[in-house]
Amino acid sequence: MNEALPWLVWLLPIIGALLTPIFAKIGDKVRDYLAVLFSLASAVSAALLLLSNEVIHSTVEWIPSIGLQAGVLADQLSIIMANIVAWISFLIMVYSLGYMKGEPNLTRYWFFMNFFIGNMQLIVLSDNLLQLFFGWEGVGLCSYALIGFWHTDEKKYWVGTPVEEGGRRAWGREQAYSPSHAGMKAFITTRVGDSAFLIGLLILYTHSKTFSFTQLAEHTEWASSLASAGLLIPVTILIFGGAIGKSAQFPLQEWLPDAMAGPTAVSALIHAATMVKAGVFLVARIGPIFYTAAQAVNAAPLFFEAVAWVGAFTAFLAATQAVVGREIKKVLAYSTVSQIGYMMLALGAAGLVAEETAFASGFTAGFFHLMSHAVFKASLFMAAGALIHACGSKYLSDMGGLRKVMPITFFSMLLASASLAGVPPLSGFWSKDAVLASVLEAHTPYAPILFALSVATAMLTVFYTFRMLGLVFFGEKGKLGLEHKHGLHEEAEHHLGEAPKVMWLPYTILAVASLVIGLAGPFVETSLHNSLEHYLHEYGFEAAHKGFELNLAAVGGSLAALAVGLPLSYSIYIARRLDAAKIVNSSKLLRAIYIFLENRWYLNTLYYAIFVDGLLSFARIIWRGLEVSVIDRLGDATASASIIFSKAGNWFDRYIVDGFINGLAYINVRFSRLARILQTGVSQNYLLVFAVGVIVVLIILVLNPSLLLR
Amino acid sequence: MMINPLLQAVFLPIILSPIVYLIGRRIGSKVGWLSFIVLAYSTLLIIYAASTKPDYFEFYSWQPFGVFGLRLDGLSLPFAITIYLLSTVLAVYSIPYMTHRIEEEFEEQHLVYSKHGLYQALYLTYASGMLGTVLATNLIQFYIFFEIMLIPSYFLIAEFGYGDRARISLMYFLWTHIGALLLLAGILTTVFLSTLYGGVVLTFDMVHLQPSGELVKSFDTSSIPITYIQAIAVLITVGLFVKLASFGLHIWLPYAHAEAPTPISALLSPAMIGIGGYAYLRILLYLLPLAYEYVLFAISIWGLVTIIYGGLMAFMQDDVKRLLAYSSVSQMGYIIFGIASTFYIGISGSVLHYVSHGTGKAILFMVAGAIILQAHGLRSISKMGGLAKKLPITATAALIGFLTIMGIPPTNGFQSEWMIFYGSFAGAIERGDFAKTIVSGIALFATPLTAGYSLWLMKRVFFGKLPESLKDVKEAPLTVTVPLLVLAVTGLLIGVYPTIFTERLFPAVQMLLGG
Repeated sequence: MNEALPWLVWLLPIIGALLTPIFAKIGDKVRDYLAVLFSLASAVSAALLLLSNEVIHSTVEWIPSIGLQAGVLADQLSIIMANIVAWISFLIMVYSLGYMKGEPNLTRYWFFMNFFIGNMQLIVLSDNLLQLFFGWEGVGLCSYALIGFWHTDEKKYWVGTPVEEGGRRAWGREQAYSPSHAGMKAFITTRVGDSAFLIGLLILYTHSKTFSFTQLAEHTEWASSLASAGLLIPVTILIFGGAIGKSAQFPLQEWLPDAMAGPTAVSALIHAATMVKAGVFLVARIGPIFYTAAQAVNAAPLFFEAVAWVGAFTAFLAATQAVVGREIKKVLAYSTVSQIGYMMLALGAAGLVAEETAFASGFTAGFFHLMSHAVFKASLFMAAGALIHACGSKYLSDMGGLRKVMPITFFSMLLASASLAGVPPLSGFWSKDAVLASVLEAHTPYAPILFALSVATAMLTVFYTFRMLGLVFFGEKGKLGLEHKHGLHEEAEHHLGEAPKVMWLPYTILAVASLVIGLAGPFVETSLHNSLEHYLHEYGFEAAHKGFELNLAAVGGSLAALAVGLPLSYSIYIARRLDAAKIVNSSKLLRAIYIFLENRWYLNTLYYAIFVDGLLSFARIIWRGLEVSVIDRLGDATASASIIFSKAGNWFDRYIVDGFINGLAYINVRFSRLARILQTGVSQNYLLVFAVGVIVVLIILVLNPSLLLR
Repeated sequence: MMINPLLQAVFLPIILSPIVYLIGRRIGSKVGWLSFIVLAYSTLLIIYAASTKPDYFEFYSWQPFGVFGLRLDGLSLPFAITIYLLSTVLAVYSIPYMTHRIEEEFEEQHLVYSKHGLYQALYLTYASGMLGTVLATNLIQFYIFFEIMLIPSYFLIAEFGYGDRARISLMYFLWTHIGALLLLAGILTTVFLSTLYGGVVLTFDMVHLQPSGELVKSFDTSSIPITYIQAIAVLITVGLFVKLASFGLHIWLPYAHAEAPTPISALLSPAMIGIGGYAYLRILLYLLPLAYEYVLFAISIWGLVTIIYGGLMAFMQDDVKRLLAYSSVSQMGYIIFGIASTFYIGISGSVLHYVSHGTGKAILFMVAGAIILQAHGLRSISKMGGLAKKLPITATAALIGFLTIMGIPPTNGFQSEWMIFYGSFAGAIERGDFAKTIVSGIALFATPLTAGYSLWLMKRVFFGKLPESLKDVKEAPLTVTVPLLVLAVTGLLIGVYPTIFTERLFPAVQMLLGG
C-alpha cells in the first residue's frame, strides 16, 4: 500500500483533471466540489506519507531498451515538499470556490488547477531528472494556460497600468500587458531557461547514463569524466538555468510580475507558493549531488557561487521594484521574486561552507524559508484577492482604511505581512534569520557583500510590506466604493465588506499557521534540520547533529533592517505624517530613481528591444533580403527551367535508364497531355484512364518485370 | 492467419481507387467513408503484421530486379503506422472539407460528385505510394513508389488547390522530381559501382535473405574509391534534401503546402516530406556508411540552419497555412540534425520526430482547415482573433499540436526532441567532436524560436478580441473534431509511453549503423 502512496499523490490530481470535463456534464456544483475533493485526496496521501515516515522508492519500466525507468522517490526532502504543496494547494482550491464563483469556463480552470497540482507533485516526487522534466514543463503549460485564463483580453484583466489610465511608457513601450500576452511571455521566457536545463541534463546523461538521483549520487564517476572534458561547471550551471527560468531569478525574472494577469487564486498557487519554488526544489535536489561529485574531483564549487550570487542579486533587484509597486498583486510578485532569491542565496551559501557538516545549515535555511514563504505568501495573495474583489480595483491607491471594513482580512494580512517583514516571532523571522546566518557561514571572500545585500533587501522588505499594509488598511476611506473605473469584478462592487467564509478561512488558516510555526520556530528549524541532515546523509554527507543556535550577527542584521524600515514606512503609510509623493518630487534624483525602479531597471524594455523587436527585424531583413529576393526567384526560375528540364529529362529517359524508364516516360507523356487538359477543366475522365494505366503498368511490373526489359 | 497483409495494405488502396472513383460519381462526398474503410482496414493489417514478429517481411520474386520485398521492421514501422493513421483520419476529415472546397467552385451535382470521386481515388493512390516507399526493400521498387506518391499529389494540388494552383503544382512537381532524379542517379551509380568494385552480382535488393532466416545487406560499398563515394553522397543528399525541404531547397514547400487542399497539406507536410529522412537512413546511412561519414558535419550545419531559418520565416507569415509550412521546414531541420547525430538514440529520435511531427503538424493543418471551413475560407492571421470562444475543441487541439512541435511533454514531441539532442551530444562526445557539442547546444537553444512563433500564432488566432466578422462562427462538425482528437490522444499516448516504438526502433537503428 505504501508503495502506491507517492504515485497517488501526483496521479490523483491528474486523474481529477482528466475527469473534470466529464463531471462538468453532470453539473457545475459537482464539477467544482469534485475538483477540490481530488486535491484533498492527494493531500491526504501526502500526509499519510509523512506519517509513515519511511523512504519509499518505487520504479516501473519506462523505456527498457536504454534502461530508463519511471519512478517515485519519497524521501525526507520530497515528503516535506509534497506536503507543503499539497495542503496549500488544497486550501487555494477551496478559496477558488469562492473567488471564481460565477465565472464562465470554470471547467478549463479546474482542469488546469488539478493538472498543475499533479505535475507539481510529479516534480517533487520524481526519482529521476527526465521524469522531473515532464512535470517541469507540465506546470509551465498550466501556468501559461492559467495566466491567460481570461484570454479575451478585455482591458480590465490587463496587468500593469495602461497609458490611458496614467501608466508610464518606458522607451516608448507601454508597460501593460494583456493576459494572453503575459501567458506567452511567461512560457517563452521559462522555455529559454528550460533549453539550458535540457542541454545540461542531456550532456550529464551522456556521461552518467542515468537520470536517477540515487544513481547519480551513488556512482559519481560521471563527475570526473565530465570534469576531464571541461564540462562539469558548464553542465551544472546550465541545469541551474532551468531553475533560474522557473523561479524567475535574474536574468529571467521579468515574466513573473506580468504573470499577475491571471486570477488571484492562480497567482497564489502557481506564482507564489508552489511552481516558482520548483527551481529552488531542483537546486535542493541536485545541490548535494553536485557538492559531493565536485568534491570527488576537487572542483571549485562554482555552481554554488553562481547560485548564491544570482539569489542575492535577484533578492535585492526585485525588492527595490516592490517599493514603488502600484498594484497590490505586483508588489507581492516582486516580493516573491525577491524572497526566492533568499532561498537560492541560502542554498548557494550551503555549498560554500568550509566544513562538509555545515552544509546542512544553509540547506535547511533555504528550505525553511521556502516553507515559511509558501505559507505566508499564499495567505497574502489570497487576502489580496479578497481585497480586489471587495474594492473592484487592483491599485493600492484605490484602497485605504479597510481595517474596519474587513477585520478578518486585516488580521490575517497583518500576521502574514509581519512574517514577510521578518518580525519576531513569526515564521519569516526565523527562516530569514537562518538565511542570513548561512551567508555568514559561507567560506568565500564575498560573504560580507552577500550579507550586506541581504540585509539591504531585508530593509526594503520591511519598508514595502508595511507600505502595502498601510495603503490598504490605514488612512482615509475616501476612494472606497467610489472609484471603480479599474473594476475587475463589476458584480462584486457593492459587496464592500468581509469576504465570504470560503475565501477568508483558507488565508486566515495560513496566516495563523505562520504564527504557529513562528512560535515554535526554533523547534521547527531543529527538526527540519535533523530530517534534512538525515536526507543528506543518504547522499554521503556527515551529520553534525547540532542543536538550535542563534547567530547573533544575523539577528542583528535582521533587527537593524526592522529598525530602519518600520519607522519610515510607519510614518509615511500608516500614521501618514509624511507624504511620499512630496518627498519623491522634492528632488530630481529621487524622482529619477523612482522612475528607474518603476520601469524595472529598464530590464524589461531592454529584453523587448532585443528579443522581440530585434528578432522580428532580423527575421524581416532575412525575409526581404534572402527569401523573397533570392530564393523565391529560384522558384520562379523553375518555370522557365521546366522547358530545359523536360528536354533534359527526355534525354535522360531515352539514353540513361532506357528500358525501365519507358514506364516513366509513359507517365511523362500522360503528364504533359494532362497538363494541357488541366486548363479545359474536365480532366477527371482522362485521369481515370491515367490511373488505370498506372495500375496496369504497375501490376505488369510486379508480376513480370522482365516483359518490359526484354 | 491473414494472407500477405503487407501486400494487401499497399495494393488494396491502389486497386480500389478506380472503383472508388466510379462509386464517387454516384454518391459524391459519401465515398470518403469507403476510403476510410479501405485505409482503416489496411492500417489494421499493418498492426497485425507488426504483431506477428518484430522484423516482419514478405518477399515476392521479381526478376530481373530481384525481390519485390515489403519489410516492416523497427525502422519502417513508425513511418508505416504514421502514414496510414494520418491517411485514415484525414479520409474522414476530407469529407466535410472537400465538400466545402469543391462546392466553392462547382455547382452542378454531377461535376461535384465526380470531383469527389476523383479526389478520393487520387488520395488512395497517394497513401499507397507513401506506404510502398517505406516498406520497399528493393531500390527500383523504392523509386517506383517514390514516384507513385509524387504524381497523385501533383494532381491533387493541381485539381483541388488554391490560388495559382496550376503554376504551383507544376513547381512542386518539378522541384521534387528533380530531387527524385538526383536520387535515382545516386542509386544507380551506387548499384553499378558496388558491382564493379565490390565484386558482387548486380542487384537492386538492399537486403537478401540468408538460409538462416536472417536479412543481410546485399551491398558492399566499402571498396568504392572515395571520390565516387563523395559524388554519390552529394547526389543523394541533395536529392533527398529537396524532399526534406532543407534550407535553400525549400522554396517549393511553402507554396505547395499552403495552396494544397488542407487535408493534402496535412499529409504532405508531415508524412510525405519526412520520407526523405527515411530514405536517407535506408539508402545513404545503411548502404553507404562512408558517404554518411563524408557529409556528416555538413548536414548537421545544414540542419541547424534549416531549423533557425524556417523558424524565423514563420514569424513573417500572415497566411496561417504558410506559417505552418515554414514551421515544417524548421521541423525537417530537426530530423536532419538527428540523422547527423551518428548515435542510435539520436537517429531514432529523428524517426520519432517524424511520428510526432506527423501527429502535431497534421493536427495544426487540420485546425487551419477547420478555420477555413467555419470562417468561409479565412486564412489571414491578422483578420482572426478570439476564436477560442467559438472553436473550443479546435483551440484545444491546436494547443496540443503546438506543444507537440515545441517539444513539450507529455506530447510525443518531447520524446523525439530529447532523443535527437541527446543523441547529438552523445555522438559528439563519443567521437570527441567538440565543435559538434557546441553546434548541438546552439540547436537546442534555438528551440524557443518554435515556442515563439507557435504561441504568437495561438494568441493572434484564438485569443484576444473576436472580430465582428467572425461573430457567427461555430465549432466544426464531428467529422473534423473527432479526427483531431484521435490524433491528439495518439500523440499524447506515444509521448507518455514511447516504448511501443522504441523497443524495436533502437535495435533496428543500431543494426543500421553497425551493418
